[in-house]
Amino acid sequence: MRDTKLDFLKELANIGTGHATTALSQMLSGRLFQLVVPDAQMLPFDKAADYVGGSEQVIVGIFVVVSGDVRGHMAFLLPLDSALVLVRLLTGDDSGEVHELARSALQELGNIMITSYLNALAKMTDLLMAPSVPGVAVDMAGAVWQSVLAGAEVANEVTVIRTEFFADGESIEGHILFLPDDDDFGKIAHSLGLEEM
Amino acid sequence: MTEVFVNMGQISSFKTQGILTTVGLGSCVGVALYDDLAKVGVMGHIFLPQSREKDAGAPPGKYADTGIPAMIDEAIRLGARKSRLKAKLAGGANLFPNLSANSTSIGMKNIKAVTGHLEEHGIAIIGKDVAGGHGRKMRFFVDTGVVTVTAIGKEAMEI
Amino acid sequence: MAKTVLITDDTAFMRMTLRNVIEKNGYSVVGEAGDGEEAIALYKELTPDMVTMDITMPKMDGISAIKEIMKVDPQAKIIVCSAMGQKPMVIEALSAGAKDFLVKPFDAERVVESLRKIGS
Repeated sequence: MRDTKLDFLKELANIGTGHATTALSQMLSGRLFQLVVPDAQMLPFDKAADYVGGSEQVIVGIFVVVSGDVRGHMAFLLPLDSALVLVRLLTGDDSGEVHELARSALQELGNIMITSYLNALAKMTDLLMAPSVPGVAVDMAGAVWQSVLAGAEVANEVTVIRTEFFADGESIEGHILFLPDDDDFGKIAHSLGLEEM
Repeated sequence: MTEVFVNMGQISSFKTQGILTTVGLGSCVGVALYDDLAKVGVMGHIFLPQSREKDAGAPPGKYADTGIPAMIDEAIRLGARKSRLKAKLAGGANLFPNLSANSTSIGMKNIKAVTGHLEEHGIAIIGKDVAGGHGRKMRFFVDTGVVTVTAIGKEAMEI
Repeated sequence: MAKTVLITDDTAFMRMTLRNVIEKNGYSVVGEAGDGEEAIALYKELTPDMVTMDITMPKMDGISAIKEIMKVDPQAKIIVCSAMGQKPMVIEALSAGAKDFLVKPFDAERVVESLRKIGS
């Protein structure tokens, strides 16, 4: 039962991330992005902290609350150097610092990717999934991820679907994470004619 | 000297010597309890202020209301005396401020809850580096009682 | 005289991007708003020929701002530029009075096409 649910979530993630990376590609003059097959897990709380690895690595985290028919949270995490490459490609700024405009560019990029992901799922399921204004943090991975988990008020288990993406020859990599509220997962399944997961 | 990492919801302790470290303090609050005579140190990493029914099996250290008493019990188990315990806190930040623009952030709620419970137990907070918008790493040296806090772009400081 | 446009988006980066596209194509950007409240205030003050409007913004969202601006000026020409392209949202925006709905990321041609179509 669990495996079916997880496979299903991976499928959703495939579709969602496909749209998100198309959006990213469009923003970056058609650069091609590759996706690593999504990883869907129901993580026990004590394993959750290690999910993003490298606790002290500095990352950029964009975090969104999802409301509407399906509620949950989404995060877009990328190592700082990937973020700086994206900033350079988007704004021409190669200072290597994340000041105002860079932050703004990253917020918008995260916003577009996350919303494209949700748009794809919404179209498929006919359920409204509206993202909030995004929050942006540039900080240690452990602290960012912990704040995402607390924001999602996870209990003893958290459902996380993660897709890794990267661009050849550009050293850009990152993760898109979708944490749907357990209660609403059933709605998604039901809307696609799948019962009992 | 042995170093132990204290993850979200965990409680660890040392007597005489050892280093208790927690990374990943965003909205979480790291709590160090110390009895400097018995040289007993306990560290907790509090995730949310209040325990919840739907998380009945949670380790006590996950929530402030169950975590503080559990930390005190652990300290006493190692030979500390409650009346000698002092506390130092780090964390409770808000990394995504615009998401809680109209309400108190989780970080602030955690700080308030931890402070309240320590007060209830008569434990003084003698050092802290809390709130703000950045993540922290906290290290507790049980042989001396020294606690240091690090954040990116900042020098490690003693609290 | 070039037609005037008021840009509304909560990110400085998107406002800058839109400004570049709009100005390069013969229009004049007379103001920038960072949220719905500011958009309404600037609309009243500057009376632009057209408005670009984001949806997801702090303080006041785009749909609410569209409704308020339409009350002030039923002839207002508002073009939505938002990442949020889900059907209920598009319908709501158009029902509220928006003349077009562009889903981000959009290319420059699409923006210009909309300005030309709506502006005339």
